[in-house]
Amino acid sequence: MAAVYKSLNKGSKEGAGRAGDAEKPKNRQRVLILSSRGVTMRHRHLLNDLHSLLPHSRKDAKLDTKTQLSQLNELADLYNCNNVLFFEARKGKDLYIWLSKPPNGPTIKMHCQNVHTTEELNFTGNCLKGSRPILSFDASFDKQAHTRVMKELLTHTFGVPPGSRKVKPFTDHVMGFTLADGKVWIRCYQISETEAAKHPKPTADETTPADPTSLPSITGRPGETSISLVEIGPRLVLTPIVILEGSFGGPVIYENKEFVSPNQIRSDLRRAKAGRYNERTEGTLERKNRHRDLGLRTGEGVKQVDPLDNRVVFA
Amino acid sequence: MVAKGATLKGALEREKGVNHHLLRQKKLQKEAAKKKRSKKEAEIDVGALEDAVSGAEVAKAQKAAKAADEEVAADAAEKVNGEGEGWETDEEDDEEEVGGVSIGDLDDESDSDSDDEPFDNEAADEDDIPLSDIESLASEDKGDIIPHQRLTINNTAALQKAYKSFALPSSLPFSHNQTITSAEPVQIADVEDDLNRELSFYKQSLDAVKEARAKLKKEGVPFTRPSDYFAEMVKTEEQMGKVKAKLVDEAARKKASADARRQRDLKKFGKAVQVAKLQERDRTKRETMDKINSLKRKRQGGADLNDKEDNFDVALEDAAETERKDRADRKAKGAAAGAQRKRQKKDEKYGFGGKKKHAKSNDARSAGDMSGFSVKKMKGKGGAAKRPGKSQRAKKF
Repeated sequence: MAAVYKSLNKGSKEGAGRAGDAEKPKNRQRVLILSSRGVTMRHRHLLNDLHSLLPHSRKDAKLDTKTQLSQLNELADLYNCNNVLFFEARKGKDLYIWLSKPPNGPTIKMHCQNVHTTEELNFTGNCLKGSRPILSFDASFDKQAHTRVMKELLTHTFGVPPGSRKVKPFTDHVMGFTLADGKVWIRCYQISETEAAKHPKPTADETTPADPTSLPSITGRPGETSISLVEIGPRLVLTPIVILEGSFGGPVIYENKEFVSPNQIRSDLRRAKAGRYNERTEGTLERKNRHRDLGLRTGEGVKQVDPLDNRVVFA
Repeated sequence: MVAKGATLKGALEREKGVNHHLLRQKKLQKEAAKKKRSKKEAEIDVGALEDAVSGAEVAKAQKAAKAADEEVAADAAEKVNGEGEGWETDEEDDEEEVGGVSIGDLDDESDSDSDDEPFDNEAADEDDIPLSDIESLASEDKGDIIPHQRLTINNTAALQKAYKSFALPSSLPFSHNQTITSAEPVQIADVEDDLNRELSFYKQSLDAVKEARAKLKKEGVPFTRPSDYFAEMVKTEEQMGKVKAKLVDEAARKKASADARRQRDLKKFGKAVQVAKLQERDRTKRETMDKINSLKRKRQGGADLNDKEDNFDVALEDAAETERKDRADRKAKGAAAGAQRKRQKKDEKYGFGGKKKHAKSNDARSAGDMSGFSVKKMKGKGGAAKRPGKSQRAKKF
């Protein structure tokens, strides 16, 4: 009798739990991280750094094509990923980062500059592999439509959902996204808490990972431990270029007018250099012509013959 | 055709120098005010609503392109919606207040957007080539287009639609996304100024962490990692070792350079110090030598002896005098000392000093001395008793 009651009770409870789950909104993210062929060592290391910071990510082999990026949608579907972080390397030096939500978009393409990997930065910060970061966004992300989309995409990609597979408890790092100069600046810091000496008792019970039920009792006392940040790395700056409505396709819904492609910059530089050479050669040619007209060059041009010259007089 | 017409019209207006934005804004405002009035009076006309929505979106697009306008004083496209300027539909307002993405809203939104897309495109990009023309460009490499040929595309309606299609619901508890947006935008005066730029990034993150910690505490999520919780870290041990080695190296280098600088400074002053020290040593040496020499002169020269000032000589003379006096005193006492007499007697008896060898051997005088000889003793009569013979002596014992 008791067993029957128990099973019935359990069943009803489970049912209720399921219903609750269905209603409850969830944050399920999985990121497919991959690069195109032709990435440099630094790009590869950056990719690895990001992969180690994102426990909900799945790294895949380099993509062979740079033209048919819609293949990525199938790939993401294959790996059950609903986010794609794609590194597109051009000319063995330029890096473009694509962020996308695979089935129906949107997609954002950004130019990545000022890449410093964790290894070369030599910062003292460190954090658990697989702990969930706090994402800190600049308020100016909420001001424009395209930055809002960008913010949401960054949240999905870099925010680690609570239920992912390799996730660890505790929060020990923060990722900062700041809009400055029309670019997104990304930083990653370790949260280091040092116990304040003045209040030894509160810090004691704060450092213990109190279970959820007892925790509300000790809330409302901010600043028990003083927080400071230590940078971990990597560092990168992203310039948005274009936002597509679909995933790796579809109409362009935003394009950054201010973005100047690195190819353009390089060609301008080259042209400026070439211009200098052209000017110089033109200058020498002009000088030669002028000298010829003045009769300063031997065997060229018209020469003024003196009427009293011997050859004229005794001709 | 419509698109082409729009471009031509735009070009013409540019030629004329018409302040297009201003005109449009005024027109929109009038239109919206009228609409609102009618809405208050009667039921919402669907067509009119659509127009209003698109109109609002057009305004937003312009807003995004042009930073400030007197008519619309708000900064954000968001705010333009929320502001009580009078040309906003209530439906939009509600959506923004919720801020989240509910599926019902999303459907409505997408419908209306798809309906008025052509008009929207025409209006939003009035001074550019419309979207349809750009799509052909989009297939090419965007990165290689020269900037002055670049066209502004900022299809706010489509962007918002896209945003709503994938945004996380706002009802999600904080612990699920852990996203903090700073209270006010980070202002960086000069992005090239590394120190201040990084400082503002740091501040932004620090504020976010403080806020997030409070929120997580409230939701009962563990925040601080206990000191005995060990797990794999993002940076490996060897990487951290490298970092530490680098720090140590740097500290050592700093110390070495500081030492070198100190040495250099010392060297500058050191020479002067050394010279001064040598001079000092020479001076003291000369002084002592002078003293000694003068002393010697005083000792040798008689002329200087009368000099009563010299204490050293006075002391010597005193000592000599006192000794002489002592000796005289002792002579006066003389034989009184008994010990002295006994010694004398002993010396007389056993000899003191002189030659010890042959002292007891005879000489001419002792050999001629017959004082100890007597005939009587030599003849044996009346002399001492004879020693009995052997047998007698044997009988006796």
